[in-house]
Amino acid sequence: MKWFLSFLTAVVFAVPVAAQVQGVELDAPVDLPAFTMEDELGNSFVSDDLNGAWTIIMFGFLSCPDVCPFTLGNLEAAVAETGMRVRPDNVPKVWFVSVDPERDAENISEYAKFFHPDFSSMTGSREEIDGLIEATDSFYRILPPDSTGYAEVQHSSAVSVIAPDGTLRAKLQPPFDPGLTAEFLARLQIKYRKELSQ
Amino acid sequence: MRFVLAAATLAFTAGMTLAQDLSVTNGYVPVAPPSAMAHAAYFELTNESDVSRSLIGVSAEGYAMAHIHQSSEQDGIATMAMLHQLDIAPGQSVAFKPGGLHVMLMRPTASRALGEMVELELQFSDGQTLAVVMPITARKFGTDGGS
Repeated sequence: MKWFLSFLTAVVFAVPVAAQVQGVELDAPVDLPAFTMEDELGNSFVSDDLNGAWTIIMFGFLSCPDVCPFTLGNLEAAVAETGMRVRPDNVPKVWFVSVDPERDAENISEYAKFFHPDFSSMTGSREEIDGLIEATDSFYRILPPDSTGYAEVQHSSAVSVIAPDGTLRAKLQPPFDPGLTAEFLARLQIKYRKELSQ
Repeated sequence: MRFVLAAATLAFTAGMTLAQDLSVTNGYVPVAPPSAMAHAAYFELTNESDVSRSLIGVSAEGYAMAHIHQSSEQDGIATMAMLHQLDIAPGQSVAFKPGGLHVMLMRPTASRALGEMVELELQFSDGQTLAVVMPITARKFGTDGGS
């Protein structure tokens, strides 16, 4: 029985590795709505700021103990790796957008910076968040608090890749393997530049 | 100094756990941003006894509360579920690791710096408790975070 169980475990763990896809390119670029996000220091992050540079947008929340820090840590490694493959001005910015402004708005600014000084964190009104969520085909749901007052937030595990023209071009998926993610981003950028020159 | 402390902690932990046929190894709490409202503890919990044991709760020094949580991903959605009981068969070892089982440490009462120690108490259904100490460690980027 124990042997069978460990065999099962081996199979279950082997599958995600074999099927490891780091990114999915969209069939066609998707325009994003105009939006304004901010942090508690008064810095604003608007849709126009996406123009002229590559940006990775990740949704999360500060009461997330496991997946969000894990993802930001892996993104830091993936972005560093990308920096070895592309020109410095093509290294993607990372924007962490909290979908939980009620709990997070007052101290959002430091969160993503912790993983890399150039990462930004922000949140906004429910309407602004929902607009960006919808446009990037993302998802979140804040569950009612449990008996201890803890409210869980479910959210998309994939992150969005925005091109310098401000359009959504691709989604990156966990586990964000640094090498494979960097390879995917570098190829995406080459293709984007080819498109522009045509 | 840190090494000595860690070694002392290890010896301490091992002494505690052998008595109960339960052991916790490779425990760590990745350092978190100051504004993070939750930390996570990861470790391996082994039941060396010949009866099944059930982890039913955790408490942690310096946190408002601690829950046993399981992260999972379904159809691209990351979710967490709280576990009220985790059964560990005789001889079985359960891994708490990033993206899976973890102890969620809610609302740290102070920010925790690298190298500081976190004290947890694991509670089992037979009334036994297990005190363990684990360090705040640097994150292992670009890996599954496992040790």
